[in-house]
Amino acid sequence: MVDAPALAVSGVQKSYGGVLVLGPTTFEVAAGHVTALAGENGAGKSTVLKIISGQVHPEAGEVRVFGEQLLHSDPQSARRLGVAIVPQELAPYPELTVYENIFVGREIRNRAHMLDRGEMAKQARKMLEVFELDVDPRQKMGRLSTALVQIVEIAKATTWGARVLLFDEPTSAIADHEVGRLYSVIRRLREQGVAMVYTTHRMAEIQEVADNVIVLRDGKLVLEADIANANEATVVRAMVGHDMDALFPEQAMSTGPVRLEVRDLQVERNGPTVSFDVKQGEILGIGGLVGGGRTEIVEGVYGIRPSWGGTITVDGEPVRRHHPSSAIRFGLSFVPEDRKGAGLVLLRSVLDNGALPHLSSFTRAGWINRQKCRSEVGRAMKAVKLSSRGLGQLVGTLSGGNQQKVVLGRWLTRDARVLLLDEPTRGVDVGARGEIYSVIRDLAVSGLAVVVVSSDMPELIGLSHRVLVVREDKIVGELDRAALDAADAQEQIFRLASGQEIEVLKPQMS
Amino acid sequence: MAQVPGDAAIESTKTRWDKNRVLDLGLRNLMVLVVIFVAIYFSIVNPMFATVPNMRTILIAAAPFALIALGQTLVILTGGIDLSVGSVVALSAMTSAVIMVGHPERIWMAAGVGILVGLAAGLVSGTVVSHLNVPPFVATLGMLSIASGLAYAIGNGAPINGLPMQWDQIAETHVFGLQLPVVIMIAGFLILGVVMARTSWGMRVYAVGGNRTAAEVAGVNVRRILTSVYAISGALAGLSGVILSSRVISAAPYFGKGYELGAIAAVVIGGGSLSGGRGTVWGTLLGLLLIQTLNNGLDIMVVPAYWQSVISGLLIVSAVAVDLVATKRSNR
Repeated sequence: MVDAPALAVSGVQKSYGGVLVLGPTTFEVAAGHVTALAGENGAGKSTVLKIISGQVHPEAGEVRVFGEQLLHSDPQSARRLGVAIVPQELAPYPELTVYENIFVGREIRNRAHMLDRGEMAKQARKMLEVFELDVDPRQKMGRLSTALVQIVEIAKATTWGARVLLFDEPTSAIADHEVGRLYSVIRRLREQGVAMVYTTHRMAEIQEVADNVIVLRDGKLVLEADIANANEATVVRAMVGHDMDALFPEQAMSTGPVRLEVRDLQVERNGPTVSFDVKQGEILGIGGLVGGGRTEIVEGVYGIRPSWGGTITVDGEPVRRHHPSSAIRFGLSFVPEDRKGAGLVLLRSVLDNGALPHLSSFTRAGWINRQKCRSEVGRAMKAVKLSSRGLGQLVGTLSGGNQQKVVLGRWLTRDARVLLLDEPTRGVDVGARGEIYSVIRDLAVSGLAVVVVSSDMPELIGLSHRVLVVREDKIVGELDRAALDAADAQEQIFRLASGQEIEVLKPQMS
Repeated sequence: MAQVPGDAAIESTKTRWDKNRVLDLGLRNLMVLVVIFVAIYFSIVNPMFATVPNMRTILIAAAPFALIALGQTLVILTGGIDLSVGSVVALSAMTSAVIMVGHPERIWMAAGVGILVGLAAGLVSGTVVSHLNVPPFVATLGMLSIASGLAYAIGNGAPINGLPMQWDQIAETHVFGLQLPVVIMIAGFLILGVVMARTSWGMRVYAVGGNRTAAEVAGVNVRRILTSVYAISGALAGLSGVILSSRVISAAPYFGKGYELGAIAAVVIGGGSLSGGRGTVWGTLLGLLLIQTLNNGLDIMVVPAYWQSVISGLLIVSAVAVDLVATKRSNR
């Protein structure tokens, strides 16, 4: 038993309603090792994590932690064995302080059996210092960024005595510049001998943090390799089952006259203004750090966010600011960053969600022409290659990629002129991502002016004709196609976005 | 040979699924079954129950309450709540009564003003909710107090009795052999049922309740939708007050007291979700039928009112619990 691996999963299997979601799966993770668990959405990654953390009972097989078998499938037993999970959707108590969040459920009491707040704050500070986190434990959790909340959760889990730590898509909700901090936390935990399983479908992350990689496809383990032997192409091929050389379709270079013209748009009161044009058939990328003002710009153009000044014209016609309904009339369409929060009504059908933005085009005197509605929405959903059980399926039950196709496709029921996309492939698996890219490209070719905001550098560079870089609500740089084709394009964008360019230039000028 | 066990397996999952399906269907339509069961039970234990006059009694007693439940359904669908409807009933009844006392011949004007008073109250609540972003609970709690106070002020704290006899025309006019309030109630359900399913307004109400931000992004004028549901709820409460007052040819400031909670119960029993976006007009009708049938049947059996209250409390909680189980089953 001395040499028992930190985590041994053997032959676990699970099906829901007669459908096998996870075939017999076996793998081990040694103490101090990080295993990346890759796979598309629905491949069975979450099921594996849920079995290990005791949330789901496997039909067959067993889980051992340092040789000890997980007997009861409940989170408490798993925790007793030292398994902790950092969920994708963190659920902190935003109104409680950081130390209260850490100690809730195992509060420290003084002799009078009252809460010893001073002691808890002191210990919390120590825990956070381990991860080089300079956060006041007495401040409210709600004021921390998602990335910091995540690290607080990790700190909390490890001080509970976690020896096996599971991460469910930890980078899906945090900003790019904060990912580095997460990586260093993971490295520190590795030094401490914690075994980690890390699910993701981003290649860069796998290369960055993992010692080895396991790929699941349709509930089957299809690849297990050391990171040294697993390059991007191998892993992607394993994930999707075929080559993905054409993730980004050929670019159409012919663009028409200016379609969207934004002049002196001011999204923050007394803030800077931005001006830019997008031509027919052009895809304009907007890059920059999260919080740098990218989202604010497209939301301001669309009108869902109030703006303080400026003009927006589509084909020379001025659009009323901060009125999405007016924007829609002028052919603007918008796919928001937060698909579930701002894009879809999850309780309603594909048909209802698909009809909503251009609802008035299906109605006469307020009455819906259901036949027209059905055929138009059906046509639009076919155009974006939606796979659903039919227009009546509730969007809440679709996969992330298909939900995104609904949010995108619903604008095509009528002739759109401008398409504004904010993080169009966040949380979308590789297969659906390729399809979404080709839909975007086709729409541009058909004459739409497209604006894409993205944190995903390959996406930004692969998809756009031109990229604007935004920092502190200002446009600080522009890269044309030639600059994007250059080898240092990513670096260029990052420099502009983080403001390093200026610091480099200053000494030269003086 | 190898196919035999495979086929058997498919066969067995098929039958199991069918059983599940029957159970799901039963759970989903449990309220229909319960209403039928309750009605059959009462018809057996008391011959008075299943008679035409008693059915009429149930319907006419349900009418004022049904209109309020209809308005409440719309408000709850947007994720709001309208606590003010009960006291708006009183305010509208008192207003109509005062006009009837002053102008005994102007029946329809009195009725119209009563409805308008309700509409105005609803518009105010709706505007406060949609434009000032005051939580619906708070805004309509305020309106509850204001309308109730005004209702007492109109009669100087006393009921208005001795209204002209022709005031009963509203409740006693017969259309197709049914009393006008019953016809209005049936028409109200039919119209709103179709409107919710077939108009863009209906679809937008569901969208706003299901996800307000997403509705905004899709170009829905959320404020207008919110204001409109409270306005409709208020107008229906006004109409309800007029009907109530006409039936008893008087008006009192305590009319409609507690109606808001009964209406919420009807919506919830009918499958409506207080967090919005889920529920139907038909569900509310069912909830309403159940509450009214139960009250009437228990009255006939001379069950004291306080026990009736206990029974309806149990009913509300179990209806929602069963609904949650059914939803969980179907999501699995």
